[in-house]
Amino acid sequence: MADSMQTVPILEVIAHQAELKTFILPRILDAAPGQFVAVWLPGVDEKPFAVSADGPETIQITVKAVGPFTRRLLNCRPGDRLGLRGPFGRGFTLMPDSLLIGGGIGNAPLRLLAQRLTERGLRYTWLAGARRAADLPFLGELQKNPAVRLFTDDGSVGHPGTVMTGWTDALAATPTPPRLVCGAGPEPMLLAVREAARLHRLPVELSFERYMKCGIGLCGQCCLDGSGLRLCVEGPILTEEQMQGVTEWGLPPRGPSGRRPATTPKATRP
Amino acid sequence: MNPLAVRVAGVTFPSPLVLASGVMGLSASSLKRVADAGAGAVTTKSCGLEERKGHPCPTLLPFEHGLLNAIGLANPGVDEMAGEIAEFQARSSIPVIASIFGRTEAEFGEAAARLLARVRPALLEVNVSCPNVGSEFGQPFAADAAASARITGLVKARAGHVPVAVKLSLMCPSIAQVAKACAAAGADAITAINSVGPGMLIDPHVRRPILANQVGGLSGAAILPLAVRAVWDIARTVPLPIIGTGGVARPEDALQLILAGATAVGIGTGVYTGGLEVFGRINSFLADWLDREGLRSLDALRGAAHPARSQEAHHG
Repeated sequence: MADSMQTVPILEVIAHQAELKTFILPRILDAAPGQFVAVWLPGVDEKPFAVSADGPETIQITVKAVGPFTRRLLNCRPGDRLGLRGPFGRGFTLMPDSLLIGGGIGNAPLRLLAQRLTERGLRYTWLAGARRAADLPFLGELQKNPAVRLFTDDGSVGHPGTVMTGWTDALAATPTPPRLVCGAGPEPMLLAVREAARLHRLPVELSFERYMKCGIGLCGQCCLDGSGLRLCVEGPILTEEQMQGVTEWGLPPRGPSGRRPATTPKATRP
Repeated sequence: MNPLAVRVAGVTFPSPLVLASGVMGLSASSLKRVADAGAGAVTTKSCGLEERKGHPCPTLLPFEHGLLNAIGLANPGVDEMAGEIAEFQARSSIPVIASIFGRTEAEFGEAAARLLARVRPALLEVNVSCPNVGSEFGQPFAADAAASARITGLVKARAGHVPVAVKLSLMCPSIAQVAKACAAAGADAITAINSVGPGMLIDPHVRRPILANQVGGLSGAAILPLAVRAVWDIARTVPLPIIGTGGVARPEDALQLILAGATAVGIGTGVYTGGLEVFGRINSFLADWLDREGLRSLDALRGAAHPARSQEAHHG
């Protein structure tokens, strides 16, 4: 039963940099691009991660240091055991002429999407952005891929600027408009992609994150305000139609207690 | 008239199916979604006086025969939950059951008072039976009939006209005796049963319990027979309406609890095993069942498996 816990040894660790690594694990589950797995570090905690590659015998997860759990996870070495549950949620649709837009660690799930599209001979363009070159996992791989355009805020690699600066060029450069825009990255970026896609009347599928506990739609932790959509079951990839039913965009997400932190009221000028 | 409608302590549920506490119960939107899926009442996550983050994960662990959970009573606190309840009530006509817990007996009364100062739920559920916080809170209060009765009394004293359901645990010598003590203390309904155990699952490779809390309450298909028996025992002992809960995922499961004496049927883990459609599916089944049997309501089925009652039904 894939929803139950199974521990596996880490086979290999790729250190992109000290705070950004990819863990290669035995392929005990079959994840679609955009789906996630719950990763248990025994004695510490369990958190959701997107699958970043899928091989005949291995799967990969790519981890960036964001808090105490990821820092502990990044210290793990080959042979250490991690627990896996999943895959959970619904992934991206595989569509020809897709436009992939990734921000930072959000490029990890897009890597599996690109892999699947390539396997099926489906064309795509991938705008991969990050604050700086060091924040881009698989930089060498991305640089070799002719479908990829790189963007960094500091210009340390690729075009200077955000992926959104590349959006207009990308649309102009393709003879036919993309049939699907797939995005993963920080929420402000995703909301900007959503706006741009609306403007150009393009269908979107965007990968969102919330604090999650169970992964199976029970604990209520990741239910979004408005439609009550469960991000772990009906997401984490949302379509425009799904996003329209949600009223919490732009608000700080609910924490582990279920409480949404109060928003600091904006200073109003008379 | 809606043949599936039932009355619990004076409150009409349009369906006997109740979302059990702890499942999709943190926000108004989440509860609304379950109400729209066909629940006749929805129960919030159990709330205490203060916000709690709960245990680290894994907090919830499916296995072949059910589910272990040790969420650790994560909750936003009664004040915050009151806001969610008010929003739910503005968006849905389905009754909402506010579940509360306390770390001490007195805290139950305070939690009830704080909540009811802000909002008026259809019922209050008093969760004296959470099995997951033993290390911090000791044995669940529900293991002790006298403690359960004292808590019931404290909450009743603050509840005004809001009816009070006490949620009981099977982890006691006689759940019927605890129910009887709660009834004597003024309980208006009984919810039975909470998850069972706690239980434990160990990963053989890393040689440690999988749940961060080590132990967690057992729910799901494995506990259905325990729930049926508990409802049976309680129904023979106290005249209160029972929200029979435990392991319901299929229509026949719900029917068993009703035949054992439940007025309403809680569904928790069934939302996982059966999906959110579980409410609609069981509603349709029960409506068809009544139709086939030529019955206008569930009243004739309630407790009908009890020999004495069957006879009464024949003579009546």
